[in-house]
Amino acid sequence: MTFAQGWHPVALSTSVEPGSSAGTHIDGKELVVWRDNSGVAHVWEDRCPHRGMKLSFGFVRGDHIACLYHGWQYDTGGRCRYIPAHPDLEVPATITVPVFTTVEALGMIWTSAEPGASRSPPPAEAAETLPVRSLYVDRDAAALFQALSANLPSPFTGVGGASLTPAGDNLCRIAAGDDRLLVGLQQLDAGRAALHVVIEGPGSIYAGAGQAHFLGWTAGLRYALEHGSIPAQIAKAEAV
Amino acid sequence: MALTETVRISFTGHFVPPSFLEFVDRRAARLDLDVSVESAGTDRVAVEISGQPDLIDAFEMACSLGPLDCIVLDCERAIVHARRMENGR
Repeated sequence: MTFAQGWHPVALSTSVEPGSSAGTHIDGKELVVWRDNSGVAHVWEDRCPHRGMKLSFGFVRGDHIACLYHGWQYDTGGRCRYIPAHPDLEVPATITVPVFTTVEALGMIWTSAEPGASRSPPPAEAAETLPVRSLYVDRDAAALFQALSANLPSPFTGVGGASLTPAGDNLCRIAAGDDRLLVGLQQLDAGRAALHVVIEGPGSIYAGAGQAHFLGWTAGLRYALEHGSIPAQIAKAEAV
Repeated sequence: MALTETVRISFTGHFVPPSFLEFVDRRAARLDLDVSVESAGTDRVAVEISGQPDLIDAFEMACSLGPLDCIVLDCERAIVHARRMENGR
């Protein structure tokens, strides 16, 4: 599976619940990821055009997100629809938040991170996915990818070694035994990056113990990044 | 049904006219106001502006702060006319 160029993963789908918002970055650009109450995810510039407050500190009401500072409310198109201090005002269409193309696929939320960008849609979800975790580290994406390549997981099902293959921009697939993982790479800024890890497989096999197995591997991966190698006790715990 | 006004605002102070007028144009565009410049000197800038009264208030407040290279000491405002419109202006 190959992702079209220019898509960035910003969160696991399960990490952003309906009616909630969260802040993130892509290459230093501040973004808010929020999900309206009907379940649709949105990625916008994380800045209220009124006074510059981060919208990720705001709150979701139905299909609007409201700024925490003065309560300005924006619809799903990024247009300001209501200003509490001026309830009778017909808010002009010029007061908007830059909105980025957002899709959900492979158990992750993806964005173009460019306003109005028209890109090829990502491929439809091919298989059932189960979330493992997002891992945030104080290393750039290149160092994170290098550590990932050098510390692949042991299989949960089947036997054999592990391999990693690129699957498009900011996406790679890991094969370990009979298991398949998808890993989204997010460059947060110059010195920070994130991994978004999902299992490509049915919940009947991986729910619970399988997720815990790969969760242990990500803990070891973090340790390896910070200390150079996966310690024996983590490797042992992962193998149990 | 929205009330729209046309008002004349005279800013007095110390201006770099191109800088102040660019500032005026940007704020008017953001607030969806129509603006025409009546005069622009180094000590006085006068504009006529039309739109919803609350947005004209916001415009006046923004312009009274002005860009870094201009100082607004005072502003006078006079209503040219006001009317109710069915769909905006």
